[in-house]
Amino acid sequence: MIGVIERPAAAPPPVGEPVIGMVDVGMTYPNGKAALVDVNVSIPAGDFVFLVGPSGAGKTTFIRLVIREQLPTAGRVTVAGYDLARLRRGQVPTLRRRIGIVFQDFRLLPSKTVFENVAFALEVTGTPRSEIKRRVPQLLSLVGLHEHDDHLPNQLSGGEQQRAAIARALVHDPAMLIADEPTGNLDPVTSWELIQLLIQINAMGTTVLMATHNQEIVNAMRRRVLALEQGTLVRDEAGAAYEREY
Amino acid sequence: MGFIRFVAFAVVRAWQGFWRNAMMSLAATATVVLMLVLLSGLFIVIGGLNSGLSFIESKVGVTARLRDGLTDSQVQNLVADVRKIPGVKTVDYVSPAEAMNRLKQAYEERGETLNLGGASITLYASLEIGLTTPDMGAQVSQALSGRDEVAQITTRQLDYAKLLNIIGVIRTVGIAALVLVGLTVLFMIVNMIRIAVYSRAGEIEIMRLVGASDSFIRWPFILEGILCGLLGSLVTIVLVAVVWDPIQPIMVRVFQMPTAVSSQFLAVLSALVLGVGLGVGALGSWISVRSNLASAN
Ligand SMILES: Nc1ncnc2c1ncn2[C@@H]1O[C@H](COP(=O)(O)OP(=O)(O)OP(=O)(O)O)[C@@H](O)[C@H]1O
Ligand SMILES: [Mg+2]
Repeated sequence: MIGVIERPAAAPPPVGEPVIGMVDVGMTYPNGKAALVDVNVSIPAGDFVFLVGPSGAGKTTFIRLVIREQLPTAGRVTVAGYDLARLRRGQVPTLRRRIGIVFQDFRLLPSKTVFENVAFALEVTGTPRSEIKRRVPQLLSLVGLHEHDDHLPNQLSGGEQQRAAIARALVHDPAMLIADEPTGNLDPVTSWELIQLLIQINAMGTTVLMATHNQEIVNAMRRRVLALEQGTLVRDEAGAAYEREY
Repeated sequence: MGFIRFVAFAVVRAWQGFWRNAMMSLAATATVVLMLVLLSGLFIVIGGLNSGLSFIESKVGVTARLRDGLTDSQVQNLVADVRKIPGVKTVDYVSPAEAMNRLKQAYEERGETLNLGGASITLYASLEIGLTTPDMGAQVSQALSGRDEVAQITTRQLDYAKLLNIIGVIRTVGIAALVLVGLTVLFMIVNMIRIAVYSRAGEIEIMRLVGASDSFIRWPFILEGILCGLLGSLVTIVLVAVVWDPIQPIMVRVFQMPTAVSSQFLAVLSALVLGVGLGVGALGSWISVRSNLASAN
């Protein structure tokens, strides 16, 4: 239906609930592929979590469930206090504003400048122009792009494009930032710079969930690691490495 | 405040979208104009014929020429009886003197004077009978033919049936043509919006991810279709206004009566054109958005 403008009312998540919770979650695609099997996870606010596993293990599927791009075929997913299965369609935008997301391929709009790309996310959610003018420069300086605000994406390095994408993901001050292989297209040095930025954002209170194949980073960081293998959560370990160490 | 911002956003995006693929949009607009011109033409012709119809309808009736030398009471009896015949609405007695007056007047209207060359003539008295419905003529004449006060009966309804037929045919053919063109227009608009949706696939994906509501995602496309209908309507209204004066004499000649030239006619036609244009634009884009913009967020 095409309704009149709906202004999603933000209900604050109940205190003490995890930012992301999964109980007995299964996800079987219509083609019969079981991408997630019996996953149980609880991620508290402020956590920094790596999601690892070989290609096809189900990392992206995990993320799709969290942002409610798909509903699980079994179990219960809660995000920022919302039970996603019970979320009405009109409330999905509200949920999405609580989550920032970036991808390996940046997904910036090629015909818009860095400023416009970030501003777009505010514009399409009905933010007043004055607010946009105030907020975008703040975000761009947070990610270190304030001097590139009039550049088009193709005039930026990969690392800079990913920073622009992060600035855009943060426009609504989300409870969590989700990154699906954010360093996949970046060289090692640039990857490390990006991780520094994610750490900084996490230090400001934003929960970070990062799916990655980057062993070096995971091993150096010693954060919580969720490891998937063929859809099963085989390891959930704090201060861990990319591979099992015992 | 929020609503105004939303409307501004949607209108600006619809406008940008319309011109982003200008060829496509203008082609769709051209079909809208074609459809609305056809609609206007049909409306004008049927409107003209209908007013011709009601003019003729008012003239349809039966005239009974009376025998000479009837007394007043005989005439009064006759009138009273005729009033009772089913299908009779009005009965007017036209005396010989009044008939003469009318004849003179008819000459004057043509700018001549009735010149009888000094001779004195007496016209017949008659009854002019109005009918409840135009097709009652035959029945009423039948009933009158038995009265020996009546010398001759004339009915006027030939034109009426003929005109009714013509209107029926024009209406049927016109509406069929309109439906066909209307479907083409819908197809064009649905297609135009489909292409617009695909050319904005990247933006739509981002909008969903950052939590734009469905209204923000959909209305720009709906408005783009409405814009197409609006432009088509405006072009058509201008076209009709431009040809309006030149076609007036033709209409009066073809339909034989000035009642076709009603001052309200143009306003009603413009409103109709605008309504249909906006309606078809909205319908086309709505169909397209429903089928091309997956509603799941
Ligand atoms: N839309 C889909 N329909 C059917 N099967 C799918 C779909 N998306 C993913 N899959 C399958 O589900 C499994 C998990 O895929 P997923 O994309 O979650 O893996 P991943 O861990 O993100 O892999 P990668 O590291 O390569 O990104 C794979 O076997 C994949 O082929
Ligand atoms: Mg993946």
